Amino acid sequence: MSDNEVEMEDVVANAERSRGRGLAQSRNRERITYDVVDEESSATSGAPQRSVEGWIVFVTNIHEEATEDDVHDKFSEYGKIKNIHLNLDRRTGFLKGYALVEYETQKEANEAIDQSNDTDLLGQNVKVDWCFVKGKKTSGKR
Amino acid sequence: MSGEEEKAADFYVRYYVGHKGKFGHEFLEFEFRPNGSLRYANNSNYKNDTMIRKEATVSESVLSELKRIIEDSEIMQEDDDNWPEPDKIGRQELEILYKNEHISFTTGKIGALADVNNSKDPDGLRSFYYLVQDLKCLVFSLIGLHFKIKPI
Repeated sequence: MSDNEVEMEDVVANAERSRGRGLAQSRNRERITYDVVDEESSATSGAPQRSVEGWIVFVTNIHEEATEDDVHDKFSEYGKIKNIHLNLDRRTGFLKGYALVEYETQKEANEAIDQSNDTDLLGQNVKVDWCFVKGKKTSGKR
Repeated sequence: MSGEEEKAADFYVRYYVGHKGKFGHEFLEFEFRPNGSLRYANNSNYKNDTMIRKEATVSESVLSELKRIIEDSEIMQEDDDNWPEPDKIGRQELEILYKNEHISFTTGKIGALADVNNSKDPDGLRSFYYLVQDLKCLVFSLIGLHFKIKPI
């Protein structure tokens, strides 16, 4: 068994209780080498990680009836927004409550986090943080 | 911090949907690991499509939101005893470790909500059905924006 499979078993072994037919079956997994966004060699684990075309912040506790304009208006104060993903709850059709907002520069994204984390949007206190961070060094192999 | 490490280790999510057919093993699989590693693989051999396989590390805020989504879905209270078994048409696997509980559910592909409503455990299967859609939405946004690709 590969290292990752063992590692995963260790994680799951923490559970007090397990349930489901999948327990008795081998996992249907292919051996895969994953692509990652190139990182600078001096990367510090946990520091913000850039994306292919910008820097993405992750917003939570968004009011379920907010519109994309509401989110765009609030977050375009800190820089030009390149993309917003504001996803729906598939069951209710209202907003799920989180959004991804992409800026071109790290400075803009950092400003958005500093200025808008723990602030009000339509009566709810939104949280704003980096979406992606630098991980611990691994080969990316499984 | 050992407390933090223990807390972080107490969370794992993996979803798989796929089948083995005339184009080989075609599947979508993603997982979130305790350290924030998100791995995404999508293999479709149709017309020699190459496998998409991407890895990124998400922040604690993303993991917290993922936990909330799972909590709200109440999937940890369900069981797959009465769900349709995987078959030749396909297979779905959902594995979650959260708050010291572990589930490893399997079922067949679900074509539409009518399949859920006509099943032996419509409430449980509906929780699964909607949670999977919500998880896919989140993962497609994360991978799509980070790598600038259009996941299927």
